Amino acid sequence: MAVIEFDGVTKRFGDLVAVDRLSFTVERGRVVGFLGPNGAGKTTTLRMLLGLVAPSAGRATINGRPYRELKNPLHVVGAVLEASGAYPGRTARNHLRIEALLGQVSPARVDRALELVGLTEAADRRVGKFSLGMRQRLGLATALLCDPEVLILDEPANGLDPEGVHWLRRMLQGLASEGRTVLVSSHILAEVAQTVDSVVILDHGRLLAHSSLAELTSAANGVIRARTPRAEELRDALVAEGARAQLIGPDQLEIAGATGEEVGTLAAERGIPLFETATEAADLEDIFLRLTAAGAREEVAP
Amino acid sequence: MTRLVRAEVRKLRTARVTYGMLALSVALTAIFATLEAARAGNGSSGVAPLSSAAGLTTVTTVTGFSMLLSAVLGVIVASGEFRHNTATFTYLASPDRARVLTAKALATAAAGAIFGLVSSLVATGVGLAFAAGQGDHIGLGAATLVGHGAGAAVGAALLGSVGVALGSLVRSQLAGVIGVFVWGVVVESVIGGLFTSVRPYLPYTAATTMGGATLGGAAFGPAHDLSGGAPLPFVAAALLVAGFCAALSLVAARTTLLADVT
Repeated sequence: MAVIEFDGVTKRFGDLVAVDRLSFTVERGRVVGFLGPNGAGKTTTLRMLLGLVAPSAGRATINGRPYRELKNPLHVVGAVLEASGAYPGRTARNHLRIEALLGQVSPARVDRALELVGLTEAADRRVGKFSLGMRQRLGLATALLCDPEVLILDEPANGLDPEGVHWLRRMLQGLASEGRTVLVSSHILAEVAQTVDSVVILDHGRLLAHSSLAELTSAANGVIRARTPRAEELRDALVAEGARAQLIGPDQLEIAGATGEEVGTLAAERGIPLFETATEAADLEDIFLRLTAAGAREEVAP
Repeated sequence: MTRLVRAEVRKLRTARVTYGMLALSVALTAIFATLEAARAGNGSSGVAPLSSAAGLTTVTTVTGFSMLLSAVLGVIVASGEFRHNTATFTYLASPDRARVLTAKALATAAAGAIFGLVSSLVATGVGLAFAAGQGDHIGLGAATLVGHGAGAAVGAALLGSVGVALGSLVRSQLAGVIGVFVWGVVVESVIGGLFTSVRPYLPYTAATTMGGATLGGAAFGPAHDLSGGAPLPFVAAALLVAGFCAALSLVAARTTLLADVT
């Protein structure tokens, strides 16, 4: 059952289309990475889901309802959208006490939330004195305070040091193991690759891919790199046979949709010397970069 | 709504700016009440002697600063949500933005009432101390003093809510704060000085008359010493300021309050 659903969601800021007819769903209990380069439209998309930004068209829902129509929304969704979401002159404990009052949960949960994110010692310090990493942790404590079933995290690793990233990864794994539905955005796939079940890749506001990690990896497997002095001739021959091939250097081709044997046979038939062929095991980061680069090429194409 | 108002009250209680504004209000009230008391009875000052009810009233009703600063607090409460990016958490917890605006207005009104009451206590204390020091007869009854205190509390409460509406409308803290001071110190003074018939209907002036100040007595410029005209009755003045607040809130609710929180 879909917990989160985007249906043809579009957002325009004047002439700029920040999000373009975006549709995808997130099933209950799944941990989904929401990926894209900076400026891809991730934050705008998440803010539309949370009722902070009004879509120009389409509909974004949680449990079938727009966020603004949810009863006790803090019990349904916990969100971290920015590291500096708390008043800097207030202590972390007071910030959470206010949230606890709004969420109608026992003040005792404040201490538990602080402990969960490792901020017990800093509970009575003013948020303005916090490092970026501590503010990210406070944001997570706020999101988890009312024990929501859905978590929306926007670039939670931004500004974290390596230890912080490691902590975040363990935290995400813990949340996933509890069966929560998590939508976590990032512009770095490696940050979330060890945690997510599937990924949604966005670029220039458009959906580029939505699949499980396994599907994404297998779809990208079988990419062959070939080195030949007659690269253009081989490319044309491969394309004529239905494969996808592109020049990635003066004497190098990247080929998909054909096996190594098929490439070798075709080259032999045409008398094209092959100096080297190699089938690449797809790396997730490469797939991400390849997809977003393709999106960028489409963008500049006439 | 009760929960939202309690949360907003807690926000005010846990923010240093609330106490800073209260301290500033007390300090300015004490300074200006002392200045008025010191010049009372001097022939050229235009302030009647403290031995008279009019002279003592001039000192004990120096509560205009508490009302201005209550409005400033309202602006800070509302616009601070955008300055510090806390609007995101606020609207995630309470997606109905009109209810958030109402809760903020009510919570700030409560803080404003305290500002007005404390200011009235300070001004009354200064006036009575000077009168007692000079061995003057106290020409004001307890009921009148209590009435002025209550009026100052209501006036400051209403202007606090006006500040919230203004802060929601302009979103910029600096512009809102400057706007309050310019309106209270310059605009009303100029308009009140030029058009005396309009003076009772100006919101800051109306609020100060609720606290017992003479018409224009809390003005800072040319309208200060103008005589003539009668202040609005208490209920009419309260309705006027409340109506001004409602109108500003409505405009904010239809415009900036609906804007994207990016």
